[in-house]
Amino acid sequence: MFTAAAAAIIVAMIIMLFRAIAGPTVYDRVLSVNSFGTKTVLLLAVLGFLMGRPAFLDIALLYALINFIATIAILKFFRYGRLSASMADMDLIRGDRR
Amino acid sequence: MGHLILRVTIKLLFAPIILFALYVQFHGDYGPGGGFQAGVTLAAAFILHALGFGLDRCQKVIPPGWLPVGMALGVLIYAGTGIYTMLLGGNFLDYDVIQPDSHHHAGQHIGIIVVELGVGLAVAATMLQIFYAFAAREPEPMDDAW
Repeated sequence: MFTAAAAAIIVAMIIMLFRAIAGPTVYDRVLSVNSFGTKTVLLLAVLGFLMGRPAFLDIALLYALINFIATIAILKFFRYGRLSASMADMDLIRGDRR
Repeated sequence: MGHLILRVTIKLLFAPIILFALYVQFHGDYGPGGGFQAGVTLAAAFILHALGFGLDRCQKVIPPGWLPVGMALGVLIYAGTGIYTMLLGGNFLDYDVIQPDSHHHAGQHIGIIVVELGVGLAVAATMLQIFYAFAAREPEPMDDAW
């Protein structure tokens, strides 16, 4: 059953890769990369049970965390043009990027 | 105030990330982990805070001037443990001489924990320094800004 789940997740990851390559806007690509990361977390958890190594769950947890931070960083960079924007800058520029 | 949901999420996640970093640091003997991964996770907590609340607020908590001290101190702890075991008469990083009479390899455990603390400190400081160096860079003007 875990093998079937792993195969299904890998198929979903391949579909996500197509969207990441074809995505017309940068937001499509960010969304697809974020979804790809989520599926990587699921695959890590399933592989952990498949191989009988539950310590994989720690790695999956950490991967979910890094995936979240990377998505925030990419979105902030494309919205404000730099990573150092302060709270005042972020509230000032609400509309399009400078 | 914009980005309210994101900032509340970051505030909720900040402490658990540091707790997870400490778990990885001290559980490294028995599971996946160790000083390097713990240092990266610890730095990731502060990077996430800087992304959500601005670099200036993060640098108020951890001034950039501290980071080179942290890097050097981490390497000093690592090399100092090695020199200490040499002074006790063993080889460099020969942990067994710390507790030579122990039958449970207590010296190995003490040595590994101290060395991993040094690694974690150095890696966390280096990762944060790299992020500060990237983030402090001024953006290049857009093509239509000329």
